[in-house]
Amino acid sequence: MDVLLQLLFTGLGIGAIYAMVSLGFVLLIRAAGVVNFGQGEFSMLGAYLLVVFFNVLGLPYLLGMALAIVIMAGFGVVFAYATYWPLRFRGGLPVIISTIGASIFLENMVLVLYGPSSVQIDGLFDAPGIQVGPVFMDSQYLSILVIAALLVTLQYFIFEKTLLGKKLQATSQDKEMASLLGIPVVTMVMITFAYSAAMGGLAGMLVAPILFVSVNMAGAIALKAFAANIIGGYGSIPGAILGGLALGVVETLGAAYISVPYKDAFAFLMLLLFLLVRPQGLFGERIAEKA
Amino acid sequence: MQITRRRALGAAAAAGTFAIVGRARAEDTLKIGVVSPLTGPVVEPGRIQLNSLRIATDQVNEAGGILGRKVELIVEDDQSSNPGAVLAFSRLAEHDDIVAFIGSIRSTQMKAMAPDMLKAAKPVMFGGTDPSLTHLGNPWLFRCRPNDSYSARVMTNFCLTSLKLSKIALVHSTDAFGTGGEKALLGNLDKAGVALVLDQGYANNQPDFTPVVLAVKSSGAEVLTSYFTNEPDCAVFARQLRQLGVRIPWVGSYSVISPVTRGLAKNALFGTYGIADFAEDANPTAKALGAAYRTRFNASPDNGWTYDAMKVLAHAINTANSTDAAKIREAILAIRKFPGAEGEFNFDENGDGLHGYNIVVNNNGAAEFKEHIEFTD
Amino acid sequence: MSALAARPWRGLPAAALATLAALVVAWLAPAQGYYLNILMQASTYAIAVVGLVVVLGYCGQISIAQAAFFGIGAYAVAIGTVDFGLNFFVALALGVALAGVLGLLLGLGSLRLGGHYLAMVTISFQQILTLVLTNWIDLTHGPDGVRDIPRPTLLGVSFAGGNAFLALCLVALVLVTLAVWRLKSHRLGRAMQAVRDNDLAAGTCGIDVFGTKVIAFGLSAVLGGLGGGFFAVGFRYISPDQFGFAESIVLLTMALLGGVQSPFGALVGTGLLVVLPEWLRFLRQVYLAVYGAAVILIMVFLPDGLWGFVSARLSRRALPDATHVPPLPLLSQTGRESAELVLSVEGLAKYFGGLKALDGVDLAVRRGTVHALIGPNGSGKTTFINVITGLYRPTAGRIRFAGRDVTALPPHRRNRAGLARTFQNIRLFRGMTVLENVMVGAERAGNDVAGDPAAVVRRALAALDFVDQRGDAFRLVGTLSYGHQRYVEIARALAGSPAMLLLDEPAAGLNMTEKHALGLLLRRLKGHGLTILIVDHDMTLVEQVADHITVLNFGRRIADGLPAEVLANPDVIAAYLGEPRRHDAA
Repeated sequence: MDVLLQLLFTGLGIGAIYAMVSLGFVLLIRAAGVVNFGQGEFSMLGAYLLVVFFNVLGLPYLLGMALAIVIMAGFGVVFAYATYWPLRFRGGLPVIISTIGASIFLENMVLVLYGPSSVQIDGLFDAPGIQVGPVFMDSQYLSILVIAALLVTLQYFIFEKTLLGKKLQATSQDKEMASLLGIPVVTMVMITFAYSAAMGGLAGMLVAPILFVSVNMAGAIALKAFAANIIGGYGSIPGAILGGLALGVVETLGAAYISVPYKDAFAFLMLLLFLLVRPQGLFGERIAEKA
Repeated sequence: MQITRRRALGAAAAAGTFAIVGRARAEDTLKIGVVSPLTGPVVEPGRIQLNSLRIATDQVNEAGGILGRKVELIVEDDQSSNPGAVLAFSRLAEHDDIVAFIGSIRSTQMKAMAPDMLKAAKPVMFGGTDPSLTHLGNPWLFRCRPNDSYSARVMTNFCLTSLKLSKIALVHSTDAFGTGGEKALLGNLDKAGVALVLDQGYANNQPDFTPVVLAVKSSGAEVLTSYFTNEPDCAVFARQLRQLGVRIPWVGSYSVISPVTRGLAKNALFGTYGIADFAEDANPTAKALGAAYRTRFNASPDNGWTYDAMKVLAHAINTANSTDAAKIREAILAIRKFPGAEGEFNFDENGDGLHGYNIVVNNNGAAEFKEHIEFTD
Repeated sequence: MSALAARPWRGLPAAALATLAALVVAWLAPAQGYYLNILMQASTYAIAVVGLVVVLGYCGQISIAQAAFFGIGAYAVAIGTVDFGLNFFVALALGVALAGVLGLLLGLGSLRLGGHYLAMVTISFQQILTLVLTNWIDLTHGPDGVRDIPRPTLLGVSFAGGNAFLALCLVALVLVTLAVWRLKSHRLGRAMQAVRDNDLAAGTCGIDVFGTKVIAFGLSAVLGGLGGGFFAVGFRYISPDQFGFAESIVLLTMALLGGVQSPFGALVGTGLLVVLPEWLRFLRQVYLAVYGAAVILIMVFLPDGLWGFVSARLSRRALPDATHVPPLPLLSQTGRESAELVLSVEGLAKYFGGLKALDGVDLAVRRGTVHALIGPNGSGKTTFINVITGLYRPTAGRIRFAGRDVTALPPHRRNRAGLARTFQNIRLFRGMTVLENVMVGAERAGNDVAGDPAAVVRRALAALDFVDQRGDAFRLVGTLSYGHQRYVEIARALAGSPAMLLLDEPAAGLNMTEKHALGLLLRRLKGHGLTILIVDHDMTLVEQVADHITVLNFGRRIADGLPAEVLANPDVIAAYLGEPRRHDAA
């Protein structure tokens, strides 16, 4: 039982990481219809920025985080212009491939600048964690869970309750119509990319103390985050969260009780199952095509 | 996304329309071919290996070279991949005037290159530690690092004899290195009549090791052994191990004690033991190499096999007094008590030059040489 | 016609020449070493990349699992020959078959999904396979890999030598390229391209969309496995890390760089991506970043890849010829109305949640008549057509067509029964020429010429003759004006000798002259006895051609009968104008 509780905690913790990265995905899907295979690189860049600000330049931690978030937002816009904007009328496939190219480019530029070794960075709290009964709760994981919860609420609020959110949704569903209604489509898309990049960067910074900072840190995570997205319901914000948490728990329990080496397979099997049986995921909606 | 450079470059170079890139001009240098990871994920250790090699080459040349000729290195990029290694070696093999080769530290790459190396029929000094590499029936392969059967023997020895603990848990990667180590350890424990209380594999690049740590905890192990390939994996595991309250002694393969891992895991790895083929304080040659490396490159080396490989080759060729491959081979196999940075070289008939390992302990973050364990059988 | 005649020997002379060239190259190559290894790597990879041309280029389905199939072929050969002592060709056949079966299964995943979902399915498959290859040590030897894979002997000829085996690889590549090149102008190839360009229309043109996608995946996997089998023997050592997600990306990039629409593009892309690292070696680590940037630039500026770019510049448009072809069988008939019902709809209902788009509609179309369906916007006309053609499932009601109950049939089966349609927003296959588009219609299952490629071409030309678009036969259909595209769409439908032609707002987007011409065309068709159901707003057109009118409003039928009566019906007028006409204002 103790073992189970500990596994559940870490499962949720890792799931929260997937969920956070997944939120960035969801955003781009909902507001720009873009599937960004470079989302993991946003996290990687955010982490490296924090390394520069905190480790190298010695700035206070939170200030470093704030600066990094701002820079990531700007980067998101640049990214949009480079990979999405020239291809925006050409349909999904070219954009997907273009983002794959971008991820290769970013990964290797950072590799050139920093080399392949991992870098250590401190967490938000000095204390490694707290022991609650039989379960040890890593302080960084706790922070992630809390921040993820806050971000979900924030993102949900923005999308469902504010005019900006409605405009973003309108833009994603029908750009032409949105622009005819006076919604500045270009601005909306850029806002989305900026927010998604900032979100991704934040996820990277939160994960960095646990996974250490390296060019590969986010690769596997991004893939699973995308899977979590689909499991939870493509384009759904609560779905992204639940999908991420579910994936983390299933994977951790699967590793502990079935097989550790095949751990990654559980995530993908779960995804395949959903795709074949219930492709709209837990919360998603099917969109019919107009004939 | 998990895009490694080795894969893109694994689509390696093209059909035969391209001029061979500028080679050595001087005819009277003695050429040694080198397969090295110039690009790809293992480029950093690769760089250290190449640097140590250059130090050795310069020292050899200062002492008069080989057979009175200056040594020249011809280096090809193996791109950290199997096909890349094969292509790199086959490019080198085109040069008839290359006398010997320095191969790879990665066993899968050595296996991939082995058929071509057999055809080339010239001595290859290599660093991969898979024991089977010297049992392929290939007479041209000479290993300049102690192979994994010795690391496993040292681990077994250290647990059973030095620490006197027999409930042993093993955590190992499922890749070639990890499973090779597992096999070797199981073999050795078998000989001693001891069974592992836990044999836990894991796939590389995990963000979370909780299931593994809990398995260790519930196995009742008194000592932990490990074969970790990646340093971040080792550090994440170490931290979670301590967080969940496991404090048993830990003796692991080199990644446990490498500078990178020590830096990542900080106090989670204090007090752990690492099996290292290279430790600066182990012997005078290693000390000298460390000093020379720091002077020239302003950093510390973490291995010395390429240095040793060059020194051994120089010694053997000079002794054989010929560049004939068979004569060089004989000379290498005859080497006894040759002082290398990684230990004392005594080549056996299979081509293994070293038969022992150093035990290094993490003393509050610094790697301290503890003892050298050598096997003479 | 000459450009498209399906001569069985088409391409063979070139292939024979290529084989000869390949043999010469193999003979001249060094017996071992660098250049040999590179040529073998390039040729085996190229086979797998040609597979991607089929699934991605022709059929438009994204697959990021090609390295997995490559690996299956490689491991089948390796394990088969090393552990089980099988003959190379037997092991290769097994590996290719296994890859094919798994490819078909993967294709099944495309049932309800496309685009990114499908990408994720293929990625998952890829990741799982890599894990299996690494961890199922008893079977695959795990991370150690399999070594000393033997070279084969065939009919006493040993292929142990590097040159001999390279020759084998190159010949295989030539054959594969030839086959895939010919596939493009084969019926299956056209079906794949139709699915890629417009899967909705493909279904209503009689193509089994799902089946076609599955086959595309299967073929692509087969080629991946074939390349892998040769690769294993070429390099004689394989390990799991060579067949992962990263390698799938490499193969995909090779396909895109060269041009995914053509197997020659695959050759160019593979060759270039094998060469490029050499040229860029001076860039060292930065080279990969350049590579990533190059992918983006290719997608933006060279969407058809290098080969596509070059061949578009160099291709000459085939000249239209005026060879006489037998006219459409339709034209030898004269129209006679009869009481026989071609289409009979009873109580058709379609609800979208709470919205009742159709609420119990009855309609009967008699043979040889032109039946018009009209109604204000939102009355359910398009929904009606979509339900009739099978794009939506009805909530209730029955549809009988040509004597059969088709209520539950998918679109391509209804087409097979003789139902053809055009779309309000023209749905042509933009990647193909005018003639190829119409050929898709002509070769529909159930049509009289379907089994005869030459006859299909003649029928298609005849259909184009009828709508007067034959001069544009070899132009890409997207280059035509809107009005002409409309005619091509009609020709596509006519080429299939339909029992009933369903026209969804055919006048939409046409100017006055074009509408008039359309009206004349429809009258001609009616004169030859073709049964037509037409939905349109344009009252002039409708009055011109219709024998019978049904009016819908709010999903219900409010009038049905002869044009004069229906158009004077006050309910009908009210539905359109909102108010009854006042007699004293008339």
